[in-house]
Amino acid sequence: MSFAKPVLNYIDSLKPKKSFTQSVYAFKRLLRYHRKYVPFIATITVLAVLRSYLFTLEPMYTSLIIDKVIVAGNYDILVYYLMVIFLSGVGFGVTNFFISYVHGMMSQYIVRDIRSEYYSSLQSKSYSFYDSVQVGDLVSRATMDLQMVDGFLRTWIGTVLNAVFSVVAIFVIMNSISTPMTLASLIPMPFIFYFTTKLWVETMPLFRNMQLILGKLGAYIQQNILGMKTVRIFQKEMEVVDGFKKIEQRFVDTAISAGKIQSIYMPLSPAILTLGIAGVYVYSAYSIAALDSSLTIGDIILFARYMIRLTFPLRDLSMLLGTWINASAGLERVFEIIDAPRSVSDLPNAKNIAIKEGKLEFRNVTFGYAKKRPVLRNVSFVVMPGEKVAILGATGSGKSSLVYLVPRFYDVDSGSVLIDGVDVREFKLSSLRKQIGIVLQDVFLFSGTVRSNIAFGKPDASMEEIAKIARMARINEFVESLPEGYESMVGERGATLSGGQKQRITIARALLMDPKILIMDDSLSFVDSKTEKEIQSAIEEAMKGRTTLIIAQRLSTIKNADKILVMENGTIIEFGTHEELIARNGTYKRIYETQFLDRPLDEVVMEVRGS
Amino acid sequence: MSGPWGAFSTRQEEERKRTTPDRVLLRRLYEYSKPFRRNLAIGITAIIMSSITGLAAPYMHKVAIDQIIQPRDLSGFLWWLPLFILVVLSNYFLQYVQVYQMRIIGENVVSRIRDSIMERLQVISLRYFSEGEVGRILSRPVNDANTIRIFLRMGFTSILLDTSSILGTFIIMFTLNYRLAMLALFILPVAAIAVWFFGKYSRKAYRRALSTLAGLTAKMQEDLSGMKVIQAFVQEDSAKEAFGKKQDENVKANIRAILVSSSYQPMVILMRLIGTLVLLWYGTAFVKTGSITVGTLVAFIEYQFSYFMPLMDLIAVYDQYQSAMAATERLLDLIDTKEEVTDPAPEVAVVLE
Repeated sequence: MSFAKPVLNYIDSLKPKKSFTQSVYAFKRLLRYHRKYVPFIATITVLAVLRSYLFTLEPMYTSLIIDKVIVAGNYDILVYYLMVIFLSGVGFGVTNFFISYVHGMMSQYIVRDIRSEYYSSLQSKSYSFYDSVQVGDLVSRATMDLQMVDGFLRTWIGTVLNAVFSVVAIFVIMNSISTPMTLASLIPMPFIFYFTTKLWVETMPLFRNMQLILGKLGAYIQQNILGMKTVRIFQKEMEVVDGFKKIEQRFVDTAISAGKIQSIYMPLSPAILTLGIAGVYVYSAYSIAALDSSLTIGDIILFARYMIRLTFPLRDLSMLLGTWINASAGLERVFEIIDAPRSVSDLPNAKNIAIKEGKLEFRNVTFGYAKKRPVLRNVSFVVMPGEKVAILGATGSGKSSLVYLVPRFYDVDSGSVLIDGVDVREFKLSSLRKQIGIVLQDVFLFSGTVRSNIAFGKPDASMEEIAKIARMARINEFVESLPEGYESMVGERGATLSGGQKQRITIARALLMDPKILIMDDSLSFVDSKTEKEIQSAIEEAMKGRTTLIIAQRLSTIKNADKILVMENGTIIEFGTHEELIARNGTYKRIYETQFLDRPLDEVVMEVRGS
Repeated sequence: MSGPWGAFSTRQEEERKRTTPDRVLLRRLYEYSKPFRRNLAIGITAIIMSSITGLAAPYMHKVAIDQIIQPRDLSGFLWWLPLFILVVLSNYFLQYVQVYQMRIIGENVVSRIRDSIMERLQVISLRYFSEGEVGRILSRPVNDANTIRIFLRMGFTSILLDTSSILGTFIIMFTLNYRLAMLALFILPVAAIAVWFFGKYSRKAYRRALSTLAGLTAKMQEDLSGMKVIQAFVQEDSAKEAFGKKQDENVKANIRAILVSSSYQPMVILMRLIGTLVLLWYGTAFVKTGSITVGTLVAFIEYQFSYFMPLMDLIAVYDQYQSAMAATERLLDLIDTKEEVTDPAPEVAVVLE
């Protein structure tokens, strides 16, 4: 029960009114994407008028056949009428084809525009955004959800226009035959309009809730799968399943009550129209019997058949509701990401600035991911050009946040980060990041060749350059041992690389940029001693002549650093050379003396602080 | 209007050959619907009866034209009008019952399947979770269950409804005039074969579109996983360009598939049109010789609507059925996964004090 409680509370909190306004908002916003495609819409509109006209011809000429051929006995004219029916039918089919094709094309373009905007927005999201989302979910919004949107976009204008134009065309023709009978046929229309609106208004919130509950249901299962070990250890299986059944029941209840409304209103419009036909028969029979009317038997049949024909576009219109529900839920999920704030962007007066010395200074820096909960508090220190600083600290002490402020993966809340005395916010983002080498914690390689991965930041780098950099990163021997050398594929379909090899490629990737400032997150801890040595030597080589901030996981890294910075709870507790800190007899000394060479440093740090 | 886009859709993984025969899968599905046998019985009865009342309407038109309006025998309305209203109302009522009952069954059966998957997930070996990715496991209770849900809601109903209205129409048409009925039906085999081939062709185009979608998805997955690297190395523009290229490939393949699917409806319309022309050509001659009435001719034209579209829909629904069976198989696969670690029999189980 306890697992499902938040979800159940969420379901209870769903307000029908809110979902209605959200849906309207999503629709308005979707309309704006149509602006570029006015010529498409114009084409669809013209074709839709033509289609509605052609739609009326077959019943009309069938009635003429009845009146002129059968009743009046003029058989010569039959072939002509049949030709008209045939041609109008072919014309109807061809118009239908073009509407569907043009409509589908426009839908594809609009979906492409939305997806491109979505993708661009993702490119400018900050690191904290990516820490809090799942890539699979982001991808499914751009694919599955946008497919739902496509399902709506590819027919909606045509369906709406078809309903309107067909009703108008049919009533115009009917009116030219008999006004009183047309008026009689119009009687069902307000009822149909009323009940269709009622269907939309009443089911829309329910369908939306179903979508939302289904989403929560998926998240619940996902959580269960991810945490399966914990569930098993604590024997919470029954509780999980019970909670699931409770949420599931809410879904079933909602779906069935939506089904009940649908089952009441959906068959109603055709029924009302059919009853209208009875009215047409009765009225026409009386006027024919009274002999004061020019109505023919063909006219009566025409009226009846037109009424039957009207049910098709009206049925399509009420089915459009279903596609819109899915589309609006998908749109909301896509807009949610597009609208998520981007925290870092170029300031209006940002410039391209070349880093000459590489002096780095933090001045009273305070920073937090959430307001009022700072991760870094009033941090100040200076790193001279070419100095290497190793950063130590337990998990959550703020060391990653600290180094990521330099290339502006985040912006400070107060204080400033300065390079050669210039605030990093005065740089253009691209100019700043191109001059800072970054080796991230997770060694991510793109699918492609070893070469394209090393040259990732500088795609036009020459082979000599790449080979030279590979030597510096101590990866050349391995790469050259591969059958295809630098052209070997990596990633899913390529060679499988060990963590150590990947890390050295990421080091090479950063070195190729020849950065003045280097930021390394060296947290690959569990490697054999040979690899350890190679990585170590690669790191040493990399740091030569560059201002370096390195999050250290190995004592050997620390020994090679000029200065050591020890962090705790977002503040610097010790900063100085190895000798200075040993002499200080503080945290660093205790860490150093513990000498857990083969253990991740942050574990050791934890232990030392705890004792 | 079931366009082939939705109806002929085949998701990539569904192309895998199924190994369990349909009747086994259907029996298993039926097991899940057992507690709702009463709803099922009511629903199916309503579907069949509503196809009968649905077919009665065009016949009533014929009666009105031939026996009341043409002979100007207005007293006929005394029995015709109440009967017509009764037919329309009972047709409405039966449709209401059928939609509602099938919804109850569909939702409950799927929720029961989902529940048993959830129970299953709690006991199967943890190895299963490391071997398969989360996304793939997740897609079973979410996507596969949804496929079955849609099938039970719409596909199953339309199979029953379409079959019974097609059969009913044939019976009525042959009773009215078997010669005209034969003429009306001559186009059917041609149309059925055309739709069948069209389905095959459209599946091909659709599959091509799907494979470009898979490429786009993979590209997105990679770019988003490596977005930090892209940002760190200021490669946003080139990444976006590569993404745009993948996306354009997908858009292009989709538009080609749309070209194919857009021709489905015109083709069906053309086939029906030919049928109508044949009816009118011979029908007028038959009326002239007095072997049929005007009302019968009109009824035939209307009946053409009531068997033509359902038949084409039925062919299209075949794909929905295939998807549902594939989804059922995958779900049952998961439900039938062996537990690796089970409790020993009670007599040998040890309780640690």
